[in-house]
Amino acid sequence: MTTWHADPGLLHRYATGDVDPSLAASLEAHVQACGRCRADIGGSVGDQRLARGLDGLLAAIDSPRPGPVESLLRRAGVPEHQARLLAATPSLRLSWLLSIAVALAFAVGTAHLARDPRAGVDLFLVIAPLLPLAGVAAAYGPGVDPTYDIGVAAPLSGWHLLLLRATAVLSTTTLLGTIGAVSLPGPGLVVAAWLLPSLALTLTSLALSTVLSPLRGAGIVAAGWLVLVTVGFTGQSPTLLTAPALQGAAGLAALFAVAVLIVRRRSFEVRGL
Amino acid sequence: MTTVTLRNVRQRFGRTTALDDVSLDLDPGITGLLGPNGAGKTTLLRLVATVLGAEQGQLRLLDRDPSDDIQRTAIRRRLGYLPQEPGFHRQFTAFEFVDYVAILKEWTQRQARHVEVRRVLEIVGLGDVAGKRIKALSGGMRRRVALAQALLGDPSLLVLDEPTAGLDPEQRLRFRELISTHGDPGQRDGHPNAGGGAINSGRTVVLSTHQTEDVAALCGRVVVLDAGRVRFTGTPAELAGQAVERVWVAAERSAGARLAWRTGDGRHRCVGDPPAGAEMVAPTLEDGYLLLLGERALAVTA
Repeated sequence: MTTWHADPGLLHRYATGDVDPSLAASLEAHVQACGRCRADIGGSVGDQRLARGLDGLLAAIDSPRPGPVESLLRRAGVPEHQARLLAATPSLRLSWLLSIAVALAFAVGTAHLARDPRAGVDLFLVIAPLLPLAGVAAAYGPGVDPTYDIGVAAPLSGWHLLLLRATAVLSTTTLLGTIGAVSLPGPGLVVAAWLLPSLALTLTSLALSTVLSPLRGAGIVAAGWLVLVTVGFTGQSPTLLTAPALQGAAGLAALFAVAVLIVRRRSFEVRGL
Repeated sequence: MTTVTLRNVRQRFGRTTALDDVSLDLDPGITGLLGPNGAGKTTLLRLVATVLGAEQGQLRLLDRDPSDDIQRTAIRRRLGYLPQEPGFHRQFTAFEFVDYVAILKEWTQRQARHVEVRRVLEIVGLGDVAGKRIKALSGGMRRRVALAQALLGDPSLLVLDEPTAGLDPEQRLRFRELISTHGDPGQRDGHPNAGGGAINSGRTVVLSTHQTEDVAALCGRVVVLDAGRVRFTGTPAELAGQAVERVWVAAERSAGARLAWRTGDGRHRCVGDPPAGAEMVAPTLEDGYLLLLGERALAVTA
């Protein structure tokens, strides 16, 4: 049992947070074993501070455990508030990511099982660019984010929120796509041919979403892509998708879409601009 | 000080004119918007909530210009908005949802944010169900969750689109109590970036409703919109005053009545041009509104 007691003035200064950390640490060690000093500290703490502490404690109890996506993001070093913003992204939910994985697995499986593996690779090169496009279209905007209007009226920039979510979705989906690509039986670099068209389609869809709803923009771009590969594919498999002309056009389209997005970025801040 | 000013605002959606040359000045206190469906109430509120940009005309909110990016952000830091049909991330709990909106409102410091989220959930009476998923809450509870997010940071300008829709009578009374307190002058602005928690000269609440009794009970000022135009601005008493000597009760519907309905005691309450010797009664705000808009008002009271 302890035989000494801390000076009341020191306890008061501790209660108001006015002692240096090393002294506070030794005082805390003593207070844990001394009921009288604990009681003295209790008398020195103001009602407001107690109320703040209680509020914080209750808020911590109310605060739910983060879901799997949010936990993963926080473990990856994403700040807590940004992880919460990303957790609300429809296309970062596990169900969405699972459906992407299934679509890719189907294409990869087809490539392995088909009599002509090139046909499976072509199928992959057609499907894979559409997956990030769909994910980004479903990440943010009117008609896809149920809290869009509340978000627009909030001070956080819609443009920044879009970039945050689009980057996360694009990274995740591209990672899944790359895993699918390296699982293909095809020749090495050919399977990377989906990356640039994918970026171009996604950015074009985002650029269109400055004047149309995100889903309509994505639908138009996806339909255009399917028409292009269907028309241009006949008898040329798989040269169209890997042709330098297509890759170059995709690069130019991506650059143009970025320019449109930068010029039209205010449309993400206020509706009707 | 006038906190909301609209000058010659015109807003169209395709061929439909939602607002037509609307000019308004709103002071601190509670203003109620009345009007039939399609009158332009929601468009007006979305402009005041900075969700829409004005196609023509000028707006000034909290002494700032919402068409300027920096000033618009400053307005949004002091703004709360309840849309007519608020959407939810249904997999979130009530706490998570309001917490999410608090982040959109720049409450990045976790503990202060959680204290604020808990505070607004307590205000709307949902402290006990904060941990429940939104998809498990009733429609009225969801409405209160949506109201809670609008109250984050004790905003200087509160824009509420049909806040009492879906609330039961007890909840509506609680809402009136809450909003009448919020409309009091001298409340503290609680947003973390609103400029040091300055005391405001008064808060401005703009709400639309289909409940004329809410306007009569709450609002110091009422604006009646019809077909995108302002038909009336004034106090609830002044709107009721439009029907002085124009409301009577009779055993049958009178010939001169523009509108008449059978009341609980079996007699007819008539609004319009009274016949000689009619038994006149004191008009209510609803009578004044009905007389102002005639048959079109029935879209509201039906």
